[in-house]
Amino acid sequence: MQLVAAGDANAFEIVLERHADAAFSLAYRMCGRRSVAEDVAQESFLALWRSGARYDRTRGSVRSWTLGIVHNRAIDALRRSSVHDRRRASAEGLEEDIEAPERTDSQAIANAVSDEIRVALGGLPAEQRRVIELAYFGGFTHTEIASMLDAPIGTVKGRMRLGLEKLRGHLHDWEAVGA
Amino acid sequence: MSSREENTGCEQSVDAAPYVLGALDRDDSFRAHLDGCATCRAEVSELQLVVDTLPATVPPVLAPRALRERVLATVRSEAELLRAAGHQTDEPPKLASRRRSRRGPFMTAWVAIAASVALVAVIVLNNVGSTAPVRVTVAQVAPSISGAQASLRQADSRAELVVSDMPQPPLGKIYEVWLSRGSTSPQPTDALFSVTGSGSGSVNVPGNLHGVKEVMVTSEPLGGSSRPTSSPVLRVVLRA
Repeated sequence: MQLVAAGDANAFEIVLERHADAAFSLAYRMCGRRSVAEDVAQESFLALWRSGARYDRTRGSVRSWTLGIVHNRAIDALRRSSVHDRRRASAEGLEEDIEAPERTDSQAIANAVSDEIRVALGGLPAEQRRVIELAYFGGFTHTEIASMLDAPIGTVKGRMRLGLEKLRGHLHDWEAVGA
Repeated sequence: MSSREENTGCEQSVDAAPYVLGALDRDDSFRAHLDGCATCRAEVSELQLVVDTLPATVPPVLAPRALRERVLATVRSEAELLRAAGHQTDEPPKLASRRRSRRGPFMTAWVAIAASVALVAVIVLNNVGSTAPVRVTVAQVAPSISGAQASLRQADSRAELVVSDMPQPPLGKIYEVWLSRGSTSPQPTDALFSVTGSGSGSVNVPGNLHGVKEVMVTSEPLGGSSRPTSSPVLRVVLRA
């Protein structure tokens, strides 16, 4: 990343190759439309290129930093879009929208860590998993989620924290993600 | 109340989870609170590690090849501009204000280059994967779309106009590329284009550019025009 920060396009190309699929996958999962996901991913990588000097490796991996940028950009895109689109994007089971030939090789991508996270997330109580997914993947604010679920804001915040803390308890190997 | 909340001793720690999930309103005061609360910073730091794992649950999808190519084209153009701008772009001006810039050296260089877009720069790049050099000519941008960036990339007999941060054409309009040979009216091309929501786009410039002095872009009614109906928003001045 030091080379990227110094304006080395070849170094950036390596970063792009390593993280483009993960970035696009997250953007697509959040936005639900390929065109929007492409915009989000493109904006994110150009932002990363232009702000490489801000990367601090003591605060996480390049993968996490990259996906953090994608997440923020996708939230911006979602909050500019209609609630209808956002509800659709935040719905579970977008897999059927993905054409089979577009999938990456599951053997190359899947690993024990992501399986563990998936299982852990799926194992959360439904109300906790729901608020986490609506917030993280749907881009909804806690006040919007409280309104959608007809629940007090404090309850929504509590479910978020309980869910994340349970995930933390399950995921003993999270440090390996994105390494 | 969970045991964790009892232990933290800060009632605002309840916002840590929505914060790391991106679920607080952007103008929420929690970010400012974090600066002065070590307890909440620690809470955020721990929960952030969990949130960083959530993308791993997403069904994997291949990023489109065109996306990678667009990003790399822009990055390579900007990298060449940075190189061409030289190290002096990183140095403060001799009569600089006493206010220190919060931008890093790279951003300082970037801003310096952005400011120079009104001028014309021609750079010859090595074309990866090909023996033909790529000639990049930076476009002049009309004040009406200030902030936009554009360049014409020529390799062999092909030319492509690449734009970024460009506004959408007005409602019912589309961007049209024109070729000007100086002595005659600009010639229309069938290169019509719009831009993505982020303002990026590219279009192949058809025809032989031999003798062309300027490549221009105007905003025209859908379907294009045979004569320009508006002033150019982009102008690429080509050297002989």
